[in-house]
Amino acid sequence: MRFTRKCLWASFQASLPVLLGYLAMGFAAGVLLTSRTGLGCLWGFLTSATSISGALQFILVDLFCNQTPLFTVALVTLSLNLRYAVYGLPLLERWKGLPLPLKLYMILTLTDETFALEVANQVPEGEDSLTYCFQIAALDHLYWIMGVVSGCAAGAVLPFNSKGIDFAMTALFIVILQDQMKVRLNRLPALLGGVSGLIGLALYPQNMLIPAIAILLTALFALRHSLEEATHE
Amino acid sequence: MNDSLYLLLATAVMFGVTYTLRGFSFMAFGNGRKTPEAILYVGRVISPAVIAVMIVYCLKGTSFHAPLYGGAEAAAIGVCILLHRLFHNPLLSIATSTAVYMVMVQNWGSLP
Repeated sequence: MRFTRKCLWASFQASLPVLLGYLAMGFAAGVLLTSRTGLGCLWGFLTSATSISGALQFILVDLFCNQTPLFTVALVTLSLNLRYAVYGLPLLERWKGLPLPLKLYMILTLTDETFALEVANQVPEGEDSLTYCFQIAALDHLYWIMGVVSGCAAGAVLPFNSKGIDFAMTALFIVILQDQMKVRLNRLPALLGGVSGLIGLALYPQNMLIPAIAILLTALFALRHSLEEATHE
Repeated sequence: MNDSLYLLLATAVMFGVTYTLRGFSFMAFGNGRKTPEAILYVGRVISPAVIAVMIVYCLKGTSFHAPLYGGAEAAAIGVCILLHRLFHNPLLSIATSTAVYMVMVQNWGSLP
């Protein structure tokens, strides 16, 4: 780990789209939590700081309202976040040199967006990649907490019409994918992902992620031979 | 059950399950254990694929049966892709396309 001003600035710049997305999404989730359950900033902080998970942050409002049995809470969390189980894979080798406390913290903060930025790893020439990724993780974590807690504080009264602001999240994924598509090898996996997503959505509109990811993994293994051959060309 | 106790336990359960999932690949394949070839392969190809799934997931609420019939999504995505092609500035593409989307759904979208 080597902290420099240049590296911190690069991490901050890379995390800016996430700042927009997390503040907007977190704010909306915070407003929902406070207006429906009456719970204040403390609970917004506790929930957002421990499971940094967008879909879950919205769902937990329902779970809290109904005092849902803990087993069901576990099951809902598992199905919403199952995709995280494979997120460590591209990072296994790279994180080997990390001190344990930092590694544990970076596991905590491994969200969709942080994962994408860490895999993209646009670290400036001559700077330390692990420091760069750690800073992105910590910044994203902070943005999410800020978004949720400020949403709780704002409660039900919105100062402006923020309808549609969550499109920032969609746009972030589009931009990330657009950059990845420049690498030829990423194109077929991306196409498979899109098609799997659509099939998952058609099958289970309410919970598309698990079927989509299951189909995706099946397709990736079915086409492993041709995809790996392309790697060696 | 006590209200705060329930909330605390539920928060702990969500944290425990989410953390275990995030740490799964590190626990299963870390610590110098040789990572199976198949896992490394998935690691190489999964990132663009999952991002594509997430885009579908983000857009799943698009309504084709009420105004604007998906028009706001289509316009905002078009703006985002075009701007990113031209200027390679993520923040510019994201902010502009989000503004386009917000203006469209707030002024011409159907009431929620």
